Amino acid sequence: MTATIPDDIKRVEPGYRYALTLGAAFFWLPVLLGALIVDRFILIDTPFGGLLPIGVGLIGIGATLYAPGRVWRRLGYALDDRLLRVVRGWLFHTDTIVPFVRVQHIDVREGPLDKVFSIATLVVHTAGTHNSVVTLPGLAPERARAIRDAIRAEIRADSE
Amino acid sequence: MNEVTLDDLGRKERLHPLYLLTGLGKVARNGWGLIAGGAFLAFQERWDIFVLLLLTMTGGTFVSLLIRWLTFEYRLGNDELRIDQGLLARSSRAIPFDRVTDVDIEQGPIHRLFGLARVRMETGAATKADAEEGVLDAVALDRAEAIREYVRARKRGLAPRPAEVIAHDAPALFEMSIKRVVTLGLFNFSLAILAALVGLSQTLGNVLNFDPFDPDFWADLFASSGAVRDFVMLYQVIAAIAGTILLVLVGMVTGLIRTLLRDYGFRLERTESGLRRRRGLVTLTDVTIPDRRIQAATLVTGPVRRRFGWFALKLQSLAMDDKQGDHVVAPLATFEEAATIQRSLSRPIEPDSAWHRLPYGHFTSGAIGLLVVMAVAIGVGILAEPLAFLAAAGVGLAIVVHHYEWKHARWALDDAHVFIERGWWRQRRAIVPVKRIQSVDLTENFWTRLFGFSRLRLGIAGGTLLDSFSIEAIARADAEALRARLVAA
Repeated sequence: MTATIPDDIKRVEPGYRYALTLGAAFFWLPVLLGALIVDRFILIDTPFGGLLPIGVGLIGIGATLYAPGRVWRRLGYALDDRLLRVVRGWLFHTDTIVPFVRVQHIDVREGPLDKVFSIATLVVHTAGTHNSVVTLPGLAPERARAIRDAIRAEIRADSE
Repeated sequence: MNEVTLDDLGRKERLHPLYLLTGLGKVARNGWGLIAGGAFLAFQERWDIFVLLLLTMTGGTFVSLLIRWLTFEYRLGNDELRIDQGLLARSSRAIPFDRVTDVDIEQGPIHRLFGLARVRMETGAATKADAEEGVLDAVALDRAEAIREYVRARKRGLAPRPAEVIAHDAPALFEMSIKRVVTLGLFNFSLAILAALVGLSQTLGNVLNFDPFDPDFWADLFASSGAVRDFVMLYQVIAAIAGTILLVLVGMVTGLIRTLLRDYGFRLERTESGLRRRRGLVTLTDVTIPDRRIQAATLVTGPVRRRFGWFALKLQSLAMDDKQGDHVVAPLATFEEAATIQRSLSRPIEPDSAWHRLPYGHFTSGAIGLLVVMAVAIGVGILAEPLAFLAAAGVGLAIVVHHYEWKHARWALDDAHVFIERGWWRQRRAIVPVKRIQSVDLTENFWTRLFGFSRLRLGIAGGTLLDSFSIEAIARADAEALRARLVAA
């Protein structure tokens, strides 16, 4: 009684990369600023002067320019008429499967950054304690709504 | 939407008038400040103020209870329980019977004295375990049982049966004799009271100059009586042994008392649609666990218990049980007794198919990490701080334990259930119906990938995050095959 697990993993919208880049930039710029201030006023006279902003800058540049592409390449989803599969990460790899009949409710989320790049996040809630919220970011909004409607139809058909 | 008419809601009812007395327990519990203040005033010989204080407290409490009693009304409707309460800020709460997972009946000491009970509606809103969702603080015991029957009958969409038809004593599925409860108490060794004593001596000791956990205290005491000192110094070893024995005794007695209070008269019955559990010495609890809400079962034991053939069986349901995610349906049972309970729920306790061990890579991957830590500790021990050798020995012990844990972990899958066993000190066998699995997670990271295994985690409804259901290590190909079978149902 082996079920077919959808293995035609699709990538999410390329726009997700840019949303991640912009989000990372928003996070790292203030951190870099803080590091510069700390360096200027506290660390300047110690042998560690200059090290902190350089380190933070390098990590920030990595997180802003390199990481989003990597995250996007490793993020994928697949679905058929009864399962949703979300695959993400390499260093810490997670592969989640949610049967539609187990879904309690579904959100489609669009943050301000998402709107700029016209992407949306699909959030699926199950009754489980572990993993009760499964998120799939970076979908085109109409795609996210289509998936939501498909899952909702499935829940209604099975409503117990 | 149909308009709810007054007829549908049933007649208004108040709590039992003796509610005014059950509230007194709460007053006594909150009255420590009064006692302290009173002691202080008595010391100052200001009796008049003390009496005044006492009268105001008691009077105030009584009036507030009276107001609460006068303004608290509940109505048992066709489809919902309505609770109206509050004098100035009046609130009306509707609890649809459809959402009630369970009706609990509790009796505190004062309740038992007057034949009252507290009725609590469980609605499975687990996040708000502390919030009083639908609590009727004091109703007559027979009325409480009638309410429970009524709610249950309504949930099934049947006409309510008259209260007197309730079968009070269905044959017990599992019962604990007093001897069994005492045995359980001995296993529930607890040093919690010791922690409390330490805390107490920390706060009181400074004031009273009495701190039994301070070595100086004993040294001073002995110094003041030479004979005793010589004796103790001479027989220090004996003193240490006696101290340990005392500690063990304290732990045993604490465990015994706690267990007796909680599990005295433990009785599990099979009802039409679920299990009913009654237990308690001073505070009686009466809980039903509907079949349909039961998610997974866990069989728990330990190396010592196992030697004597004892197990505990817990069921995880959507409702919370005293802030715990699972319901204990047999705290101390033989394997056969646990199997009987499981059978009554049409659930197995052992798989029909073969057990699978975890890959050896699970042990080596963990051991390598620990060995690195051990090497560092030994290095530090040689170069700087000899105490680090102790840490190294500890890590060595951790490796041995890790090996035991690996040896004891296994899993199996038969037609409809997944079995996962893990742990060496706390041995848990989880029995999860495949139909109750909410989601399946396969995770791996750079380290486990080297050893070619991943971790498979099951999402199960209810419970707490602490007891997650997962196979810690499983070869990648096996994992995918297993997952395919789990989501097939």
